[in-house]
Amino acid sequence: MLALGSIAFAAPWLLLALVSLPVLWWLLKAAPPAPRFLPFPAIRLLFGLNPTDETPDRTPWWLLLLRLLVAAFIIVALARPLLNPAEAPTARGPAVLVIDDGWSAAKNWPDRVEAMTLAIDQAERADKPVVLLTTAPARGAAPPSTEPLPAAEARRRALALQPKPWPVDRRAALDALATVSFETPANITWISDGIDNGAATEFTRRLQQLGAVTLITDSADATPVILTPARDPGPALTVLLHHLEAAAASYDITTLAQDGQLLGRQTVVAAGPTTRVEIDLPTELRNRATRLQVEAENTAAAVVLLDERFRRRPVGLASSDTPDVDQPLLGDLFYLDRALGPFTEVRRGPVADLLERQLTMLVLADIGTLTGDEAARVEDWVNSGGILVRFAGPRLTEGTDDLLPVTLRAGGRTFGGVMTWQRPAKLAQFAELSPFVGLNIPNDVEVRQQVLAEPSPELSDKIWAQLEDGTPLVTADQRGDGWLILVHTTANTAWSNLSLSGLFVDMLRRLVALGEGIGGADTATPLQPHLLLDGFGRQVAAANAATIPAAQFSDAKASAETPPGYYGTEIARQALNLGPGLPELQPIEALSGVTTASYGPTRQVDLRPWLLFAALSLFLVDFLIGLSLRGLLPTARRVAPALIAVLFTGLTALPTPVSAQTVSDLAAIDATSETRLAYVTTGDPRTDRVSAEGLTGLSIALRARTSVEPGDPVAINIASDELSFYPLIYWPMADVQPAMNDATRQRLNAYLRNGGTIFFDTLDQQFSSIGGVGPGTQRLRQLVAGLDLPPVVPVPPDHVLTKAFYLLQDFPGRWASGGLWVQRPDDRVNDGVSSVVIGSNDYAAAWATDQLSRPLYPVVPGGQRQREMATRFGINLVMYALTGNYKADQVHVPAILERLGQ
Amino acid sequence: MASTHTAGHPVQASSAEALAGTLPPLVVDAERVASAVAQGVHGRRRTGQGETFWQFRRYRWGDQPQAIDWRRSARSDRLYIRETEWEAAQSVWLWRDCSPSMQYRSANNPAKVDRADLLLLALCALLVRGGERVGLLAEHNPPTSGRAVVNRLAVSLAHERKPGAPAAASAPPTRTLPRFGTVALFGDFLAPPEETLSVVMQLASQGVVGHLLQVLDPAEASMPFRGRTRFEGLEDEGQLLVGRAEGLRQQYLDRLAEHQRALRQGVTAAGWTMATHHTNQSPESALLALYVVLSDQLTGA
Repeated sequence: MLALGSIAFAAPWLLLALVSLPVLWWLLKAAPPAPRFLPFPAIRLLFGLNPTDETPDRTPWWLLLLRLLVAAFIIVALARPLLNPAEAPTARGPAVLVIDDGWSAAKNWPDRVEAMTLAIDQAERADKPVVLLTTAPARGAAPPSTEPLPAAEARRRALALQPKPWPVDRRAALDALATVSFETPANITWISDGIDNGAATEFTRRLQQLGAVTLITDSADATPVILTPARDPGPALTVLLHHLEAAAASYDITTLAQDGQLLGRQTVVAAGPTTRVEIDLPTELRNRATRLQVEAENTAAAVVLLDERFRRRPVGLASSDTPDVDQPLLGDLFYLDRALGPFTEVRRGPVADLLERQLTMLVLADIGTLTGDEAARVEDWVNSGGILVRFAGPRLTEGTDDLLPVTLRAGGRTFGGVMTWQRPAKLAQFAELSPFVGLNIPNDVEVRQQVLAEPSPELSDKIWAQLEDGTPLVTADQRGDGWLILVHTTANTAWSNLSLSGLFVDMLRRLVALGEGIGGADTATPLQPHLLLDGFGRQVAAANAATIPAAQFSDAKASAETPPGYYGTEIARQALNLGPGLPELQPIEALSGVTTASYGPTRQVDLRPWLLFAALSLFLVDFLIGLSLRGLLPTARRVAPALIAVLFTGLTALPTPVSAQTVSDLAAIDATSETRLAYVTTGDPRTDRVSAEGLTGLSIALRARTSVEPGDPVAINIASDELSFYPLIYWPMADVQPAMNDATRQRLNAYLRNGGTIFFDTLDQQFSSIGGVGPGTQRLRQLVAGLDLPPVVPVPPDHVLTKAFYLLQDFPGRWASGGLWVQRPDDRVNDGVSSVVIGSNDYAAAWATDQLSRPLYPVVPGGQRQREMATRFGINLVMYALTGNYKADQVHVPAILERLGQ
Repeated sequence: MASTHTAGHPVQASSAEALAGTLPPLVVDAERVASAVAQGVHGRRRTGQGETFWQFRRYRWGDQPQAIDWRRSARSDRLYIRETEWEAAQSVWLWRDCSPSMQYRSANNPAKVDRADLLLLALCALLVRGGERVGLLAEHNPPTSGRAVVNRLAVSLAHERKPGAPAAASAPPTRTLPRFGTVALFGDFLAPPEETLSVVMQLASQGVVGHLLQVLDPAEASMPFRGRTRFEGLEDEGQLLVGRAEGLRQQYLDRLAEHQRALRQGVTAAGWTMATHHTNQSPESALLALYVVLSDQLTGA
């Protein structure tokens, strides 16, 4: 190594080649430059001429200088110049690299990598083997390797190292070193994390026996911190921040949601080794927090993952009602959600899904009957301490299961209606034993409708709240460790304005306080790793980590086998944090005889690539000059289009996202590009043909008379095709219609619930007129047995169907006298629009026309008027399905009255 | 800096269509050059066969009675003869060299063959205005008159320069022409003088008079090249490597002057004339000089 000021040469003997430069100069000077090439017509006149000056043309001196510079750069680069060269190792033995790659190394990891590379570079130049010893245990419990490696291999391994999200184990490293001895003293570089976890002194002594030790540590203000959840969480979210006294005094703790959204940032001034931090968050945000993190600390120990234990009481809400985006105020769960949201974690969903997770309280609003499996699960959950709160409603009056505190009388009780004398009832004062005791009852709370309990001897013990007339409003019964609670009115404003009052919130608060986060977690099954933290505290997918038995989870510590992260499933996951398992932070004590250094900015720069790059650039310049001197350099004008073309080709060749369009996508686009009427294929070819013809005829009539311009009708297979594209589905009841399976019923339920309309046509009017039930009606009853159909009534005279486009009072089809049934119009579900319309007049046959609008089937009893009325009904039906209750609006009443001649 | 050579691009244009597209501009250019010259030139100013009125003259013994202009004579006691201007139409044959050496052009100058085409067509237009009959020496059609001849010639010239046409010889073709015809030859005439002069002598022996216009590129006229250069001929003459091109310049210029002198001598001996035109000079001046010379030859014959 030859040192010249701040530049040193690793292979100085190569500089001798610089001597050859004058020779090169002379050689280059002697060689004439390449001739220019010139076409010349008058060349004949040149032949045989003797030039007066024989001296050949010379290469210009500046070009020679350029070429010599290229040669000089290459020679100097081969001599490996280094800027700010590092101290060379002095000992003769191998280079030993001890690397702390535990959790705390993640901070300043690039500096550590640089220190490793530097040490390995030095070993490589000195041609010494490298021993690479990592102190953090590897997954799989393989002992640390102490095998001497060639420098290149050692560099490859060192660059592949990543900090581990668990602590170092210096004792294990000590054991690995026990059998190692070198013939000559080794150069030991300890790239440490600066933290003593118990065995640092011992470890240093052992290293010193092997050779000279250089200990590289972080500067005092760069030591990592540890964040742990508080053992005794109060009402607020509390964490403990541990740090070394010498480190920075102020930290920012950020709170993040599941999707990485920043929920809050809090600056903490650390006092003493441990600081207690209460995370100050609005209650709405607190439940969304899944991760607390010390900002600017990228270690796994600076992250606290939050799970159910840190959440507020989870409450599940379930209702048979559909979440209605148009009229949320009428929904069963709206007031519950608003009342519970501020102080609990509210979850909504089907009962079965809610019970998958831990739940304090389950609220069922107007759910009449739970299915067998659901009922069993809810009962188990209540027995183990859950609180089941049910609200009454129209469905509850229809029929109930036994998960009620009292037996209900069938039907409800209405106050203040037309046929009753009573006024709406007010609440009576709460009894002493009621959990609601002491709550203030506002004067304006009234109950208009309620369900009534069968009188029984124990009834009075079960009443927690009652009306002034003594009828129960809230009844409760203990079942196992939990409670069954029934509120005898609705959770929305349909039956009572209780839900609008502050009392409602207070009552729910008392009810939630009855329970503790119960159930859900199964203690028998081992918890699978779900999402793990890597050494930098980032969440990564779980890979080959061990499972933790649920029973031992609370005692588990983060280790190589069980890295920190989430365990369990997506729904029920538990957090394993690194911080709680770590010992107190202690800096490594510097022993005498150990050279200490810190990760600093002074580092050597290898100048070779830069010199080679400069040489290459100059060579290119020389090449261009040579071309230009010979007249071969194409002008920029000609090169530019080629360059642009190349550039453009390159740009357009960039991969563009290709969207995969499957056949089903095309079908969906086809179905939705126009409004289309749809009919269900029954399997009976004749019925299907009539359906197609009928809807075609109806579509023609719609196009001719209205602004609805439907496309061709679509035949759909009720079991497989997507239904949601079609606003109206015509479903004739043919004899051969196959029964539906559960999946189909669910699809139909979803379709009806989300605003679809199905027009059932039983085709059997001719039978019903002679009494009894026709075959189509029977078929319909069988088919819809599992569907969630509301009760139906004959079309009332003021129903929207009678005035959606034409004013109609009867609805003939091919037959004339069959009735038409719709959902009760006062049901507020689906905007009051009936999701089913049931008729029996074989409507499609009456609508059916050929392409010339000539009817295909006779109507009975007959006449052009009947056919016209059938068509008008079809138009009204489509209008009803498309525009809903728009015509129910009072705006049109005057005009309609006028037309009615009243 | 010396010229960066490229061959004349119209000739090497990729297709005959592209070439034909340049015809109207070429013809228009030729007409423009011709009209600029025509304003400075006038008719024969001699009595002769023709349509145009020239003068009245007193009747003399021996004049044909049919020649008496009775209308003029009725105004006086004398008889007057109406004389018309002499309008004897001459035949002029034109030729230009389109061998590969004519494609040469130095930077910012047109190719020699382009200039030769322009001069040829302009001369043609000028001659046609004077009522002469014009034809191409390389064609076997008889010379014709009328304005359409300019276009016809332009097409013929373009056809010769069409890509794929056989490389033309650099010497004019020898052909039997009627006596008292006139010939105008355009070219660089860089071949040995004997080759050119043999053709001239052959034509002159038939009683044909003519004119040679040597069209040269400025680079050929001055040889401005420097440095180590490899020259290559355009008609397979071979290559020549020169250590310092500037060392050859004076010798080259001397030899070029000698070449031109030999040509001029031979041409004058045949009773012809010769001029030199450089492509960086204006075509009008060359055309005017050429036309004056030809007019003298036409009228003096």
